[in-house]
Amino acid sequence: MTLTRNLTQQLFGLQSCIGLTVLVCLFALTGCDGSPPARFHLNMVAQSKERVDEANQQQVADILTAMFGTPDNPFVLPETGLDINKLRRAAGPVSSDKIGQRTGLYREHCVHCHGISGDGMGPTAAFLKPYPRDFRQGVFKFKSNALNAMPTDEDLMRTLKHGLENSAMPSFEVALPPADLEALAEYVKYLSMRGQTELALIAQVFETVDDDDKDKRLLSSSREMLLDTVLLPIAEQWQNANDSVVRPEEPPADFGSLASIEKGRQLFFGNKGGCVKCHGTTALGDGQTTDFDAWSKLVIDAKAAAEGTIEKQPGAREALSKKIAEFEARKNKVGKAEPFASPEAEQEAKDSIAEDEKTYVENEFFSHMQLRAIDEFSLPPRNIEPRNLRMGYYRGGRRPIDIYYRLATGIYGTPMPGIAGPAVTTEEIWNIVDYVLAVPLEPGGQLGADRTMAARERN
Amino acid sequence: MGKIWSLLFLLVLIGGVGCFLVAPSYNLTLPQDVSSHGHAIDHLYVFILVLTGVVFVATQAVFFWFLWKYDAANNREPVKYTHGSHTLEIVWTIIPAATLLFIALYQMNAWASSKMRMPNILPTVEVSARQFEWRLRYPGPDQILGTRDDLFHVNDLHIPVNEEILIDLKSQDVLHSFFLPNLRVKQDAVPGMKIPVWFKATETGSYDIVCAELCGWGHYKMKGRLVVQSRQDYDRWLQEMYKAQAQTASPPASEEDN
Repeated sequence: MTLTRNLTQQLFGLQSCIGLTVLVCLFALTGCDGSPPARFHLNMVAQSKERVDEANQQQVADILTAMFGTPDNPFVLPETGLDINKLRRAAGPVSSDKIGQRTGLYREHCVHCHGISGDGMGPTAAFLKPYPRDFRQGVFKFKSNALNAMPTDEDLMRTLKHGLENSAMPSFEVALPPADLEALAEYVKYLSMRGQTELALIAQVFETVDDDDKDKRLLSSSREMLLDTVLLPIAEQWQNANDSVVRPEEPPADFGSLASIEKGRQLFFGNKGGCVKCHGTTALGDGQTTDFDAWSKLVIDAKAAAEGTIEKQPGAREALSKKIAEFEARKNKVGKAEPFASPEAEQEAKDSIAEDEKTYVENEFFSHMQLRAIDEFSLPPRNIEPRNLRMGYYRGGRRPIDIYYRLATGIYGTPMPGIAGPAVTTEEIWNIVDYVLAVPLEPGGQLGADRTMAARERN
Repeated sequence: MGKIWSLLFLLVLIGGVGCFLVAPSYNLTLPQDVSSHGHAIDHLYVFILVLTGVVFVATQAVFFWFLWKYDAANNREPVKYTHGSHTLEIVWTIIPAATLLFIALYQMNAWASSKMRMPNILPTVEVSARQFEWRLRYPGPDQILGTRDDLFHVNDLHIPVNEEILIDLKSQDVLHSFFLPNLRVKQDAVPGMKIPVWFKATETGSYDIVCAELCGWGHYKMKGRLVVQSRQDYDRWLQEMYKAQAQTASPPASEEDN
């Protein structure tokens, strides 16, 4: 009896009751709010580069929401050719339904690197090398078609399935069923089209000039403008991706032989291929290493544009301060300052200051805001490193056809050019493919027969 | 008052034993063993579990009994101090020492067969751990790693059933641990070292490969798949993979393109 009473007092004493109540209240206040709904960010680097003002930015954002919906509730016009059911599966918060089918795939698997807007700015992005891809320019590196074409569905699926070797992009083939991968590929296309539409709208801002007020540019929200001028050319690029697939002749009969590899070596180190310019005379990727890729270039250009404006008016701030001080002195008749002859003269001086202020604020202040926006919405640009071919990894795949694509059409968004043309025959490209596949097997290459390592060999 | 605390300590005993009793019905015991050597590992596990279990039950029961019997509220006699018992101390030192020595000797064969008696065969596959994936390289038809016909793959390890498998385990960056729960295989992958791992799978099916060494932010998703196949299926899979990797033609144009 004593025992029970003791126990009851201990557990349900007044103190415990108060403590419990406080805990419950705290939980109610903090625990159940939920996070605000996810939303897409504007491409601030492009917006800043083109000096789009806030009113137009808001307009671009509203048009994009109307045309593409939100991350939780995507929407597509039929002209895009995108499958809304696949998008719904990939979009939204992570959850699974009664039969275990998962939705919110993009946020489960991709968002921490590629970001909610597909800007390649997820929380882990800054720690990765190379940076995750920014989908919003419609620039994709590993494709089977023309250099500036959009990737085919198969290209995107290949990257999702196999990952990109030696980058942080993992292989999802084992982790996810094919239907999930297709949904994700569709969502990548969606984010990409949305980003391209934003860029097209920014370009339109400068096409559209309001008749009454030359300074005020307003985008038309007419169907013709949004669909015919902006969306359709983008959608067409995606729908025509298969048209420009490279279909080379079969490799020569001696493909894979020492003779073919030797021919490839001559081409690689000769003038015709031009490979050594970047990949170096050692194929270690130590040639031209000071270039940038398209994504870094955009950031660099945007910053240069903003900084250029500041440099154009050296001493503007000091000049303006001096002018204001002088005006105040004359107005208040301080010291030796000559008072204004008439109220008109005073007004004139005041107007002149207002004019200077406007120029100063528009140029300098706005440029600093731009720089801040660019810093906030971009990662520090890095030099692009030409591939060290002796390492034995091939980001876009190691099938001979993959390396053929890279050589023939180049790698979009990077300084790697395509070499197919009148100067280089298909057979010669195949020879270089042969050599590129053989480099890491040469002595000193990373794939060759096992070198003696600090290996623990047991018997 | 003290009796409540003694009951709480009794709960540790009941809860501890209870967890192990209900675990099988929630499928929380060891995963299915599909290896030829796994029974030795499992035997050691069960043996040590029973041994420590008996000690756990005995010590917890004695602990509870002392707390209950010598509760300060019901014992008014002054505390008695003793100088200790030499014999008792020798006994409780020698028994655990002998037990540990026995376990050390008893497990030697299991350790040697999974870590020391490397089979004299060529490696089936090279597994290279990397943040956060398992890069695989098969030696190809010539059976030699480091030649043009090597087959590259990622996260999807296929092996034939009922055959001795030798893996060259490497790491490309940091410490990882190659863990096959169903095959009772676990081996750290160390940068700069090539560590042999061998086993024989006895049942076809699909099993997990997981990383068992915290290797970075993506450690949780460093998961692969082990597919154990009959020799026939395995050879067919290899053929398909060779064919895919040697591809020199673009996929055929689909009809709607014309």
